[in-house]
Amino acid sequence: MPASPTTATTLRRSLLPLAASAVLLLTACTSPGGDAQSSAGGEPVEGGTLVYASGDAEPDCLDPHVGGNYPQALIAGQYLESLVSIDEDGEIIPWLASDWTSSEDGLSWDFTLQDDVRFSDGSPLTAADVKATVEHIQDPATGSSTGYLALGKVTGVEAVSDTVARFTLSAPDSALLESLSMPWLAIESAAGIARGIDENCLAPIGTGPFVVDEWVKQDRVSLVRNEEYNSPPADAAHSGPAHLEAIDWRFLPDSASRYAALQAGQVDVIDNAQPDTLAAAADAGTFTEIDAPRPGASNRLELNSGKAPFNDPFVREAFIRAVDVNDGIDALFFGTAERSYSALSSVEPLGYSDEALFDHDLDAAEALLDEAGWTETDADGYRVKNGERLSLAFPVSTNQSIPAEQSLFEQVQATAAEAGFEVTISPLDLSSWYGALFSNDYDVVSAPYTKVGPDVLRILYHSASITPAPSGYFANLAQLNDPELDALLSQASSSLDADERAALYAEAQERILGSFTVLPLYDQQNHFLLGKQVQGARAINTVSTPNFYDAWLSE
Amino acid sequence: MTPGSANRVLLRLAGAVFVLWAVATLTFFAMRLIPGDPALAILGGPGSQASPEALEQARREHGLDQPLLVQYAAMLGRLLSGDLGSSYALKVPVADLLAAQLPGTLLLAVCSLLVAWVIAIALALFSTGAGRIAASVGHGIELAGAALPHFWLATVLIAVFSTSLGWLPPVSSGDLSGLVLPVLTLAIPLAGFLAAIMRESMLDALAQPYVLSARARGESELGIRARHAIRHAAIPGVALSGWALGSLLSGAVIVETIFARPGLGRTLVQAVTVRDVPVVTGVVLVVALVYVLMTLASDAASAIVDPRQRAQASPQEVGA
Repeated sequence: MPASPTTATTLRRSLLPLAASAVLLLTACTSPGGDAQSSAGGEPVEGGTLVYASGDAEPDCLDPHVGGNYPQALIAGQYLESLVSIDEDGEIIPWLASDWTSSEDGLSWDFTLQDDVRFSDGSPLTAADVKATVEHIQDPATGSSTGYLALGKVTGVEAVSDTVARFTLSAPDSALLESLSMPWLAIESAAGIARGIDENCLAPIGTGPFVVDEWVKQDRVSLVRNEEYNSPPADAAHSGPAHLEAIDWRFLPDSASRYAALQAGQVDVIDNAQPDTLAAAADAGTFTEIDAPRPGASNRLELNSGKAPFNDPFVREAFIRAVDVNDGIDALFFGTAERSYSALSSVEPLGYSDEALFDHDLDAAEALLDEAGWTETDADGYRVKNGERLSLAFPVSTNQSIPAEQSLFEQVQATAAEAGFEVTISPLDLSSWYGALFSNDYDVVSAPYTKVGPDVLRILYHSASITPAPSGYFANLAQLNDPELDALLSQASSSLDADERAALYAEAQERILGSFTVLPLYDQQNHFLLGKQVQGARAINTVSTPNFYDAWLSE
Repeated sequence: MTPGSANRVLLRLAGAVFVLWAVATLTFFAMRLIPGDPALAILGGPGSQASPEALEQARREHGLDQPLLVQYAAMLGRLLSGDLGSSYALKVPVADLLAAQLPGTLLLAVCSLLVAWVIAIALALFSTGAGRIAASVGHGIELAGAALPHFWLATVLIAVFSTSLGWLPPVSSGDLSGLVLPVLTLAIPLAGFLAAIMRESMLDALAQPYVLSARARGESELGIRARHAIRHAAIPGVALSGWALGSLLSGAVIVETIFARPGLGRTLVQAVTVRDVPVVTGVVLVVALVYVLMTLASDAASAIVDPRQRAQASPQEVGA
């Protein structure tokens, strides 16, 4: 125990150095030789370790074929590559595939692979690897979700030659190229896949600019440069291996600590920067921000039209007119999120918007409720019909909604109450939240969905997505059941004519928004903050994941 | 060993086994009775949608299609044979996972306990017998310290020592400097608590006859407190240290998350989020086991520090 001071005065003074004695004690406690990373940079262009701090969940498996969620997509983009990519204008561009052609009936697609690309294990990229990849994703054992659904129309892949892979489809798929651009469908080595799920999860073998070196669970994934790399996408800024020597991919779940680490220079890049952090960072002016909204659906509230009270379109419209989200978005997101009036993300070229449908108008809302028969009001100010209160269940997934968004939902609750809606918000963990959805125990819900291209509308609003599978799973949470909409979405998904496709999707979106089952809020947020020393980093235009192939550290 | 003490040991062991069984059972049912299907959470991370086939597969693989009691019996059977099962999400044996995460958390907890003791002793020495003002200041510090929530304290420490002063890293990187803030976060509230208890019994001790006689021999006030009274004052603190270590393991849940330290706490958070029942059960069992072992150890330590307790506990041995 500590030395006893000799006088009362030194004792009093010794309170100050308490921290020092604590540090001394810690020295005794700490095992020597922790891996003190040298601070990144020094070289202006080549070399250095970039430290990336992710606030997303740590993946269970580094192979995005297995499961297939956003945290996997974030990191997989560093070591896996797709057949095609998407450029800034939303055009499909070559990546591992240099060329592709479709048969006239749209049921067969030939992809020609780039010459002389090698996987990080040294084996050449061939059509057999493409075949193995698709089979891997379609194998129920991998539990692939997003990737599996995206390949719904693909019946098989055949290696026509070493460099030509032929996809055969059960029906024409206008979303095929968009689907293949996603990290969940990235090409892996057949030999890597053959090692089995467990081993492949630890270090998938791809063609990317970096290679998984080590995965310390609950802490970090170490990525090192692929020295033989030669397959950048068509819109990359340079060729040959990456500038960075390594990436230290850390998992920092607390958003305040993540920003503190960036401020302290302990990390170079953070993701999931929260609205308050973005505002602070903008004030500080010492960081670069990449604002890369996710593609697919916008963040939106879906109204369950499959049961009362929202099976009545008047009540749905009344709700949408009653709630005021604009003020909430402005106040809670510090100007970092822009109001959306579309079911699709603002990065989707075919997104259709109609602001007039979503005007905040309390009088109109009340008139609509009167018309729908909710004419009485109880002592608490809520509307009543046939003795029943106008109550809405709103389960909120605390794993998926950031605090600002949860506060916004409270604003929705408060403004809906003015028209006489009682909204009961239940904050739930992910599994309980799924439970509430699958037991049809919700009236309002917010569920993120990321998929490249407007075909996401078919997944979310086609009536086929209402029928719960044996598991209870369904994606059409608005429970929209509109045969005409179904026809539009199916036609659009099969149409290989760009103009026709655009027209069909516009019409489909008009119907969706006009049904008042959807209240668009804003794009799915994807904000990255970078230290000023980080140059050349970008978000790739498929699902807006960061790409460090062109990046370098200037200090 | 006398028959009496053998009985006591057996009773203690039976108690420990009962505690572990109860903890495993409660955890199992608590995790299962919340609505929601673990298979969904396993496959359906944020933003992804699992196919029905994959869900069926996952259920079969983990025996989730069996009746609840069958699953419970299977879990108990596995536990009895020393098998903690395999993580739903990470697909590795739970024992391996815990073995990898335990050292980091134990290091954090033990260091925090030691630092808490240092602070508590200093506080107790400072605030007793040095006048009324010192006493009330000391008492105030103790109360405030004991009441500080970990997440708040962590945020303040990061803001002061990392963001403003730039002395210490806000997140752990495996070296010494990264350990300081997490340890202080856990140690400060505990120190307040320990110091409050120690000061009470220190005041008691200072009123004892042996202190009077020491004073009569001309020993300095500080010497008396540091040599005689502190020993007396430490007894309740030692007795509580077992409990304290357990509570530090619970505190690690927040601290490991904020400071991004690998460890049991973070493992638990992630496992609960995805409803990874075997991992949650495993972590909770380990924490319970540490509680049980530490309580036993601190009983023994108290007996060493305080001879009277030995005397009361086993009169036959003393008499023999």
